[in-house]
Amino acid sequence: MTDTTPSMAAPKPQADRRWIERYPFLPALGILLVLLALNGVFSPNSLSYRSLTGLISTYLALMMLAVAQTYVVYAGDIDLSAGAIVSLVNVVIVVTMERLGGGGGAVLAALGIGVLTGLACGLINGIVVAALRLQAIVATFATSIFFTGFALWVMPVAGTPAPALFWRTYGGKFLGLPFVFYVVIALAILLYVIARTRLALQLLAVGDDAQAAYQSGLPVVPIRIRGYILCGVFSALAAFCVTGDTASGDPLVGGKMTLFSVAAVVLGGTALSGGWGTVAGSLFGALTIGLINSLVFFIGTPSEWQNFVQGLAILIVLMAGILVGRRARA
Amino acid sequence: MAKLSLRGVSKAYGATLALRRGDLEIEAGEVHVLLGANGSGKSTLCKIVAGSVRPDAGEVLIDGKRVTVSGPQAARALGIGIFYQELSLAAHRTVAENICLADLPVRRGGFVDRWALAERAGRYIAMFADVAGEGFGPDALVGNLRADQRQLVEIMKALASEAPVIIFDEPTSALDRAQVERFFEILRTLKSQRRGIIFISHRMDEITAIGDRATVMRDGETVATLDLKETTPAEMIRLMVSERSDLAAETVAPAVVAASGAAPALSVGNISGPGFRNVSFDVAPGEILGLGGLHGQGQSAVLRALFGAAKIRSGHVRIGGREIAAASPRSAIRGGFAYVSGDRGRDGVIQGRPILENATPIHYLKQRLLLARPNALRDKVMPALDSLRTKFATLAHPIGSLSGGNQQKIVIARWLIERPDVLLLDDPTKGIDLAAKTDLFTLIRQLAAEGMGIVLYSSEDAELLGNANRILVFNGGAVSRELTGADRTRYNLYQAAYEAA
Repeated sequence: MTDTTPSMAAPKPQADRRWIERYPFLPALGILLVLLALNGVFSPNSLSYRSLTGLISTYLALMMLAVAQTYVVYAGDIDLSAGAIVSLVNVVIVVTMERLGGGGGAVLAALGIGVLTGLACGLINGIVVAALRLQAIVATFATSIFFTGFALWVMPVAGTPAPALFWRTYGGKFLGLPFVFYVVIALAILLYVIARTRLALQLLAVGDDAQAAYQSGLPVVPIRIRGYILCGVFSALAAFCVTGDTASGDPLVGGKMTLFSVAAVVLGGTALSGGWGTVAGSLFGALTIGLINSLVFFIGTPSEWQNFVQGLAILIVLMAGILVGRRARA
Repeated sequence: MAKLSLRGVSKAYGATLALRRGDLEIEAGEVHVLLGANGSGKSTLCKIVAGSVRPDAGEVLIDGKRVTVSGPQAARALGIGIFYQELSLAAHRTVAENICLADLPVRRGGFVDRWALAERAGRYIAMFADVAGEGFGPDALVGNLRADQRQLVEIMKALASEAPVIIFDEPTSALDRAQVERFFEILRTLKSQRRGIIFISHRMDEITAIGDRATVMRDGETVATLDLKETTPAEMIRLMVSERSDLAAETVAPAVVAASGAAPALSVGNISGPGFRNVSFDVAPGEILGLGGLHGQGQSAVLRALFGAAKIRSGHVRIGGREIAAASPRSAIRGGFAYVSGDRGRDGVIQGRPILENATPIHYLKQRLLLARPNALRDKVMPALDSLRTKFATLAHPIGSLSGGNQQKIVIARWLIERPDVLLLDDPTKGIDLAAKTDLFTLIRQLAAEGMGIVLYSSEDAELLGNANRILVFNGGAVSRELTGADRTRYNLYQAAYEAA
């Protein structure tokens, strides 16, 4: 692993290269700003305070899920069940809130149960992948089916509404600022704190070279399990946002978010092979996907072409990110 | 009482015995050298002590108490630190993070104590501050460092374990003189702190400079433990070689080299690239040129570069007088090279595909075939497989159904349908049985007799001595000595391999 980098690499990297090494999310941030500008050109209204609030409250769930995915990708793993965990937590909290009567206490209790559900799902994934040593892609694909099945058992048909208190708070304002802004700020602080923990560093070291980490004396299996647990918890937070945004329970709501979360991680400059990346990049990656979707809408794409243009745009952005990163690192 | 002792430790991987019977005693306050040829079990022994390999039998004692080293983490807790020959660094982390990785300083709540981390790493970085070279610092990413600087990081990481017993498995292979001197000064300090040090190196001058005692290993067994003050290098080499093979290459007299007037089949002039420098040699048609020396001294790197799988930065390569600049294996094959690697899984076998497909990719490439009838291919393949006495059920069976030796025969057979001019053999007999080895070398000598130029690298010295007309001994990426005629003895081979680079 260490030998793949050319031994004659310049000992003193150029300035832009050092910047990218320090902040690997810079290309993602650049692309995000370009997309914002494009949105502004095609629909000046889309940069309004109101539209941006709408954008964030719609894509906050994907941001959370991208963060969740990032922690497992750090360690060179992947979680294809993240979306299924979102679905499961979504129906679990909606059903709990409904059963407990939909008051403030019920909401808080449901959120607690939701976090525990996500944590348990992460633990199961971690045990299956790290302790039982099954292939991460296939094993989490299998657990995703399992979690979806469980969600369908909890709520066989979509449509149970969430209590008004919950979604009014999520979509509402607080001291003049939209509630989601506070969530974003809290998320930023939380991510900053997690980035300084020993676990974050250990996850990256395991993803860099698992054999080397093991030989150095790191407890590789528990570290990978903790990564999955972190992923499960953030998937639960993503489910809270989905529930706030859609105001109802749907046992299949998260399914298609999984691969978007992986795409957001890659767009954010994190290496899928592990050992290299940032959560900030994943946030920008998730917003990039959101902006692409709104741009496709604003440039007036006919509805039957929207998927086509959306896919093409994601490909172009991926290429742009890789080109920028490669030039800076070459 | 010995600080650390191993008694009758053994380890087998499948059918191959990596370590037959390892015994070792380390006293507090000594630098104990482990000596032995390729594959004699040194690294396996070290990994058993460090917990990354579990022994099949035998016991490990620390301060006279029997212990079970269940893993690297347990080894650290027992007071054992290690420098891994293949390094154990995270390329995307900084130097400081790598040094402290195994035992990150944390504050309450699981947060990394960045200040303590910088302070602790700084202590070890300071030890090498003036010899580490440009671009080295606590915040540099390990992946951006030169090979010698990475090796220094691994040394610092081993030192940071502050363990009573530290193992250094070839810590100096990429270091320059000044860095080695500094490292030895540190080792002397550790000695004065009554710590036990295991040291592996293949430079005799380093061994005599720093070692107190030496344990010699041969064929996976501990042969003897010597006091280095009362031993000469010649004696150590003799012990590594074993008494019986002090004679010249006795097994078979290799074929005579073709008339010296003939143009060389392969001419390599002063090539340099990643892992080797200033390598020159000619191979006459019908000659088997051996590449010898310890593992990883550039032999494989040269062969892979000739085959276009790695870059040649300077120098020239000619086949039969034609200049070849192989940018890829594909162009090397068209130019007349063939390459057989001992790492079949990586370089040879097409897993899960039938034997017929595994025997014909070169035929497809050279004839630019798009479609072919299996029957026509069968007629081409069978003579090649028969000449190697390959055993298989039918050509349609997957290659995985064969033994390692027979798989390798299939891989070699693919080069025999259209004959190459030069055959590059990169440790071709790794992990195959004796009968298959004999068949292989019979064929190789026959090919040479028919005028092919052959370059053979083997990690088994007996194979080189028994088959090569000449042997170039590699040390640190360059040819350190050429052995011809009666000089081709095991003794000379080891002596050249262990010489200072």
